[in-house]
Amino acid sequence: MKNSNSENLKLGIFVILGIMIFVTAVYFIGNRQNLFGDNSVITSVFKDVNGLQPGNNVRFAGVNVGTVQKIRIINDTSIAVNMRINQNTMDLIRKNSLATISSDGLVGSMIVNLLPGENSSVPAMPVHPGDTIPSISKIATADMLTTLNTTNENAAHLTADLLKITNSINKGEGTIGVLIKDEEMANNFKKTIEGLRQATQNVSGMVNRVNSIIDEMSYKESVAGVLLSDTTAAKQIEGIISNLELSALQINNVTTNLEQFSYDIRSGEGTLNYILNNPGAVDQLDATLHNIEKATRKFDENMEALQHNILFRGYFKRQERIQATEEKKNNNK
Amino acid sequence: MTRNFPIAKNLYSFFTETGALSRFAGRFFKELFSRPFEFREFLRQCYQMGNKSLLLVGVTGFILGLVFTLQSRPTLEEFGASSWIPNMISISIVREIGPVIIALICAGRIGSSIGAELGSMKVTEQIDAMEVSGTNPFKFLVVTRILAATLMLPLLILFGDFIALIGSALVENIKGQVSFTLYFNQVFDALGFRDLLPATGKSFFFGFAIGLVGCFKGYNSSKGTAGVGRASNSAVVYTSMLLFIIDFIAVFLTELIYGT
Repeated sequence: MKNSNSENLKLGIFVILGIMIFVTAVYFIGNRQNLFGDNSVITSVFKDVNGLQPGNNVRFAGVNVGTVQKIRIINDTSIAVNMRINQNTMDLIRKNSLATISSDGLVGSMIVNLLPGENSSVPAMPVHPGDTIPSISKIATADMLTTLNTTNENAAHLTADLLKITNSINKGEGTIGVLIKDEEMANNFKKTIEGLRQATQNVSGMVNRVNSIIDEMSYKESVAGVLLSDTTAAKQIEGIISNLELSALQINNVTTNLEQFSYDIRSGEGTLNYILNNPGAVDQLDATLHNIEKATRKFDENMEALQHNILFRGYFKRQERIQATEEKKNNNK
Repeated sequence: MTRNFPIAKNLYSFFTETGALSRFAGRFFKELFSRPFEFREFLRQCYQMGNKSLLLVGVTGFILGLVFTLQSRPTLEEFGASSWIPNMISISIVREIGPVIIALICAGRIGSSIGAELGSMKVTEQIDAMEVSGTNPFKFLVVTRILAATLMLPLLILFGDFIALIGSALVENIKGQVSFTLYFNQVFDALGFRDLLPATGKSFFFGFAIGLVGCFKGYNSSKGTAGVGRASNSAVVYTSMLLFIIDFIAVFLTELIYGT
């Protein structure tokens, strides 16, 4: 009897544990599917549900908040999806929230994503059980494949063109082909590079030399150093500059006067203007001067003749004696 | 006539045996609901089948989960899908591998022991003695065993599944740096009622098949002590075959009910 009781106790524990495992599993699975607890049903209408099934997850900001309860075809362009949403999260879902169907990873099952409404600056009212929220259709896999197909076709054209270009290059046609295939050009290029390298070395050496010269220069004893550091020199230079400024002003005045003078000459009716502007006057003047020269020569001859004249000879001899006396006086001094 | 055609002979014996088994099952249901109920013997059988098989089932389940995960891991890692291991392992174990493997283990342990026990009682004429003493041997020996096997196997399978998942979680924890919490979160994310309920439902049928065939072979054994061994052996063989047939029907029905 005692043995039987012990067996019954062990059996009881075994059975209860087994049932607990089953109940726990049922609870957790049911909890994941929102079968227990407070839930509310909201609806959204889609054009295409992309293979969504009852039991698929409903996510709000990446958090599972419910499951798809039922999918009904209303008409050929509208499919209503009833979602069982956890009551705790109902306040977060607004009437302008958007439902969209997407895939849970690349190979995952479909899910319904609830997105906050676009006009988030003005929060809309929270949804109530039975409400219908708007939906948006994201790009489906089929659309993606269509786009990819177009991209592939373009890529095929591109690669065909690239093939032609590479063939041309291989044959040495075109600028790039010549650049790659022509040995002479390669040699020239090589020489150019060599020249450039040499020039760079020279420049580098030159820069080094300039650097060393600059380093060797005594800053304080140089003109620049004196100019920059000696205050006396600075004052002298300042004076020079002010004198220069003054001179420039005077030069300016002189220039202005000269300009006025030349203007007067050009515009006035004086002798100079007459001489400058009348070419005939120059000839006349020349003739006049010539006449004066001739007259002067004749006058000189007349005077010579006058000196030898008996009437005036005494006067000239007296003049010579006075001049000789003055010279003698000067020599004695 | 059948002596000259071995296939016909085999077919004849197959149908005869199936008919006898059906009559045996019918008698079981008839005796099940008629008084007196051998409750004490039923509990004793439950203890023998349930508690005494738990260690075997636990070790088998643990190794099953461990090895299954270790073997699947490299292939899934190659595809970069190692995060799907909890999902895949849990669905495989709960839906199919757990129930079938544990039922086969139990067929080996429980079915053979029932066949051997009843077979030896039959050849030593203890069953006849019970009838003479006024005890209904079918009710006392067969009904209690079949009922105990039917009710204990689902529990054993639940234990086995749970321990297998622990073994799998252990491997994931060591090799994949996946915590137990994350592992079981993923397991319950992946599992649905369509995985758990049909598997639990068919395990009742597995238990019933093990008890029924074991009792049938033992209760109808003959030809002395050699018959005991044959009863025990054929109980295991027939039960194993029957388990796969039941499994096929169960999967087929599940697909019909839940869809693909």
